[in-house]
Amino acid sequence: MHVLIINASPRVKQYSNTDKILGAFTKGLSEEGVTFSQYELSDRRSWDEIRKAYYENNNILIAMPLFVECVPGILMEFLETLGPKNDGTKVSFILQGGFYEASQLRCGETYLEMLAKNFGLEYAGTLVKGGNFGIRLAEGEARDKQVEPFKEMGAEFAREGSFFSPKCKAFAGPEQFPLPVRIMVGMAFKFAMPSYFTKASKSFGAKKPLNYRPYK
Amino acid sequence: MIVIVNTTSDERISDTIKQQLAVCKVEAEIIEASNLNIGHCIGCNHCWLKTPGECAVKDDYEEILKKIIHADQLWVISDTALGFINHKGKNIFDRVIPIITMNLCFKKKEMRHVKRYKKNANVGLIFKGEADGNFLNRWMERVALNLGSKSLGAFKESEVKEALSCMC
Repeated sequence: MHVLIINASPRVKQYSNTDKILGAFTKGLSEEGVTFSQYELSDRRSWDEIRKAYYENNNILIAMPLFVECVPGILMEFLETLGPKNDGTKVSFILQGGFYEASQLRCGETYLEMLAKNFGLEYAGTLVKGGNFGIRLAEGEARDKQVEPFKEMGAEFAREGSFFSPKCKAFAGPEQFPLPVRIMVGMAFKFAMPSYFTKASKSFGAKKPLNYRPYK
Repeated sequence: MIVIVNTTSDERISDTIKQQLAVCKVEAEIIEASNLNIGHCIGCNHCWLKTPGECAVKDDYEEILKKIIHADQLWVISDTALGFINHKGKNIFDRVIPIITMNLCFKKKEMRHVKRYKKNANVGLIFKGEADGNFLNRWMERVALNLGSKSLGAFKESEVKEALSCMC
């Protein structure tokens, strides 16, 4: 099996969380003997090549971050240049986001299934996973540890040919946190996380507080 | 104040809205954005981390963002593509992210971003072309939830009167 992988994150590859996720995912794919070719939508110079690959491949995986509850604008722009296939091509998706709860990604997931139908492609499911904002802020082993679980998902995808298996569905984690966890996490975000975010912000060169209002 | 961003090249919808809002004496600004230079969100997170509240992409969206923060309602008029709004319409929503901060809190049972300004505009959509209205309404509800505002709904171009009833 060969998979065409399109990283639909608008963020350049070097800083793309989706790319780090795909790095682990494709290790799992390779270990199961599946080959792949990967393209980045953030590099507009490669769009002609990606379009060509879309028409030539019959197993496509599009990975993306959730942007305002659905697909990023750059992916819409690219998809608007493609035509339907109706030739039995399979499409699957990885939809990742910053929020931890799976419920936050379900609206986007619904659209991706609609999207497959719009292109006349066979929908092979969406791997949904939240809690990935920190990949950007982590480095080295800490970052590798965050994306490591995606390796097993790559192997599972290679074995199953889709994201419909119970393992893939369970990978999404809880739809919502139970009340005790919400209280605990809520406290962490109220008291501990702002100083962590401020530290991260300073490492980006920020000179204003995180809640700064530039426009009056 | 109502801000209406028309990303289609069809100004007739804007004209209809403008006429009705004048009758209702509602303060509104209609921005014809189809020919403006508005790029996609590049996901750099600078609006949260490096220059809080300010988008790193310097194009025509900046002036729109300055208006949105004072608006009670934000309406986007968009063409559709692939059962959804097209990229021009989606870019308007994607680029609104500077109005929220990266800090998080729980609202009811889900995490939400903490607002940057005191209030965020309620959001509405008028779409031109084929799309699943039920899905777009669901999507608008989600958008509003995470902006800490309310959805005014998603309306077909032919339902512009219903959209106007939310404005007047």
